[in-house]
Amino acid sequence: MRASYLLGKLAWALFTILFVICLNFFLFRVLPGDPVRSGVRDPRLTQEAQQAIRERFGLDKPVINCFESLNPVKSGPCLINPFETQFFLYVRNLLTGDLGISYHTNRPVSTMLGERLWNTILLIGAGQILAIILGMGLGILAAWKARTPIDFGALLFSLLAWSLPTFWLGIILLFAGSRYFNLPLGGMITPGVNFPGAWARVSDMLRHMLLPTLTYTIVFLGEYMLIMRSTLVDVLSEDYILTARAKGLNHFQILKDHALKNAMLPMVTIIALNLGFTVAGAVQIETVFSWPGLGGAIFEAVGRRDYPMLQGAFLLLAVSVIFANLGAELLYSVLDPRIRAE
Amino acid sequence: MKKRTWLLIAALLAALLLAACSASTPQPATTGSAEEATASTADTGSATARIGWAGSPDTLNPGAAVLSEAYTIFDLVYDSMYQLQLDGTYTLELAESADVSEDGKVWTFTLRDGFVFSDGEPLTASDVVFSYNFYKAQTDFPFLNVYTEYFESVEAPDDKTVVLTLSQAIPNLDSQLIFLFILPEHIWADQTENAAEFENLAMVGSGPFKLADYAQNQFVSLEANKDHPLYPPKVDGVVFQTFDNQDALVQALRTGQVDMITEMPKPAVATLRNEANIAVVSGPPGSPSVADIIFNLTNDGTCPEDGVCSGHPALQDRTVRQALAHATDKQQIIDVVLLGFGTPGLTLIPDSLGVWYNDTIQDFEYDLDLANQMLDDAGYADTDGDGVREMPGGGDPLTLRVNWPSDSTWSSRAAEIMSGTWAQAGVQTQLQALDADALTSVCCPTFDYDVILWGWGSDPDPAFLLSVMTTDQIPTGTSESGYSNPEFDQLYKEQAVAMDPDERKAIIWQMQEIAHEDVPYIIPFYDQNVQAYRTDRFQGWITDADKIELSDMTSLTIIEPVQ
Repeated sequence: MRASYLLGKLAWALFTILFVICLNFFLFRVLPGDPVRSGVRDPRLTQEAQQAIRERFGLDKPVINCFESLNPVKSGPCLINPFETQFFLYVRNLLTGDLGISYHTNRPVSTMLGERLWNTILLIGAGQILAIILGMGLGILAAWKARTPIDFGALLFSLLAWSLPTFWLGIILLFAGSRYFNLPLGGMITPGVNFPGAWARVSDMLRHMLLPTLTYTIVFLGEYMLIMRSTLVDVLSEDYILTARAKGLNHFQILKDHALKNAMLPMVTIIALNLGFTVAGAVQIETVFSWPGLGGAIFEAVGRRDYPMLQGAFLLLAVSVIFANLGAELLYSVLDPRIRAE
Repeated sequence: MKKRTWLLIAALLAALLLAACSASTPQPATTGSAEEATASTADTGSATARIGWAGSPDTLNPGAAVLSEAYTIFDLVYDSMYQLQLDGTYTLELAESADVSEDGKVWTFTLRDGFVFSDGEPLTASDVVFSYNFYKAQTDFPFLNVYTEYFESVEAPDDKTVVLTLSQAIPNLDSQLIFLFILPEHIWADQTENAAEFENLAMVGSGPFKLADYAQNQFVSLEANKDHPLYPPKVDGVVFQTFDNQDALVQALRTGQVDMITEMPKPAVATLRNEANIAVVSGPPGSPSVADIIFNLTNDGTCPEDGVCSGHPALQDRTVRQALAHATDKQQIIDVVLLGFGTPGLTLIPDSLGVWYNDTIQDFEYDLDLANQMLDDAGYADTDGDGVREMPGGGDPLTLRVNWPSDSTWSSRAAEIMSGTWAQAGVQTQLQALDADALTSVCCPTFDYDVILWGWGSDPDPAFLLSVMTTDQIPTGTSESGYSNPEFDQLYKEQAVAMDPDERKAIIWQMQEIAHEDVPYIIPFYDQNVQAYRTDRFQGWITDADKIELSDMTSLTIIEPVQ
């Protein structure tokens, strides 16, 4: 792979991230309303207290200067030192790795995102891996047995699973699981328990993970199955597959050495896209199962006008989508020699 | 390489399956759990009450907290000078006696013996002095700073005595002190810079419970402080678990995964009532709240600087407002929106404020004929026959813009019902939900609306909700109606210095009569708390007080396991 190709891709990714940083900042500030007053809707909050809270979060400074025509972005006059604007301070802090303090909890955004990110990766990661494995497996099976009852059954199941409303399936599994298997009704771990050992703790957490992971897997495997199947059916109708058959290769060899590699490109695309969005969590699943992930945190932050939290979360989301795509593009050139040659 | 991946996956699958089948996970269970499902879990012998709720504290720092869930936890972990009881009265908590000087300005508190912080340090008068001065100095504390408004000085002549000097005599010092939790000076003295950002994860307090474990948005686990001199808990601990999904919350109570729930979707009540071993209780909530229908009353005389004051001119006429009150079917709103769990409202002072609530006021009864008659008599006739009345003399039609916050659970249904009955009185409405911030920007002090459906949460003391209706609060944005009545303003000032409780109560009752008669607000209902607990787990919950709040400290310190 040529170095210039790699550098070009990297530069483009960086440029996109810079754009997202700017967009993120202004997007939320164009919205009407005041984060101080919407956080604490109480008249006893005196003007002095409001001012003190604004100062604490740097909201007493103009968002940006010289863009008075851009109001409602609450811009200040040109006379103000540009290094005293919220935008400059935001970018400067970002460069030092400081994402700011959440308006809602007064905690550093990076800490909060860190906690939530781990929870999300645990849940969505497990769900994605299972969905990919099961979906691909089912897709391969259906393509190989195309136009048989097995294919029909697999197709029907996948379409059904794909079109099930996530929250509905989640609630049904939650109620059945708690009723018949005494599975927990929410959270990551049973609170207020002294676990006798690490394994007891892990096993308790796995019990909490089981139902949300299952829901996620069922909802997402349909997509993987359908794409795998349709690509593979196409590939299997190619002439070189016929040649391979004529050479006397067995079914497994044909699939493994000839068909699957060519059928992988669309799968890589969709897996990369989905992995990027994994970070955003799954608001519905997190809400149904009270799982403290990133999706729920973003949802809550929107309601509370928690700008720093939103900026941090959206930046994280953008960066992960951009890098997942970058990874996919680089992987293409490994998988497909035609792209490498260009 | 490939083989290793498959091995990993197989291991993961195996682990998940194992976890699903393993029933050996320990759960906190008391003796005699009736649910077969939980009977299979190991019995640790501890009596920990598990409470399910839909919220969670925003922070463990009392100064920075905003949400009521945080205050529920603070009340359990910290002590303050007074404790608010469920019947609305105040009792001394930290102090065994309180003496006040002749002029009402100097209060001398003598502390009780035996209060010890959870890290072993004793609580002394200097901790009280430090805490009160600390709250007063932290101007960016959204709530607690306000309660120190009249503090002039706080001193500790010795370990057991606190002398609090006020800048003026106030009748409700007890209600000002209940939320000023006493913090350990030896921990907080280092946190006076950036105090709001202190996470307070150790949460060292002297209260009936101490923090054992905490995960934000997941749970708060508390351990009993059995040596508390006043309220030693009978349980070993209390766990608050957050459920983002209210159906799961109800199910958790049914399956015995929690022992009490502090809220539930109203349709779940009927199901729970039929369930064995579950009791459902309802009543006025521990923290007062009120729903309101606000009229824009601002006019040229009262419009604040920068105000738009575009309220419909007909709303200036008290007869129109009274007629609209007669045309509002409060009982239907309660039955439909709250499934009956509410009481018809009178004024901004809700029934959960105990003695301060004037229950003798005769409300405007729902009577469409009377409403129509009143509007006819006042000259608001429908001259063009389109079903909508016009201003006297054939001016603008009586078409009112009605807004409410889009995240409100009750407003949109209530607005529809209200709109239907108002239409029968010849008043047309344009209904639109607004984002809470957009609503604030049209509301106050802009006054660019006609009618808003909103609400208040309040202090246990009525002064705060009464101040909402004073003229002084129009430019600050606290007054949402722009109501201005000199007599009401005067009475507000009088109640603020009326030291005799009976005299103060008489003034406050009179203020409610005035506010009710002038109708700056129609109060559709006072919401009720609906809570439920398992009768086979713990007994002794306070269910017969004036208010229903099972997670209140007074309840949680007296419940005990069912034998």
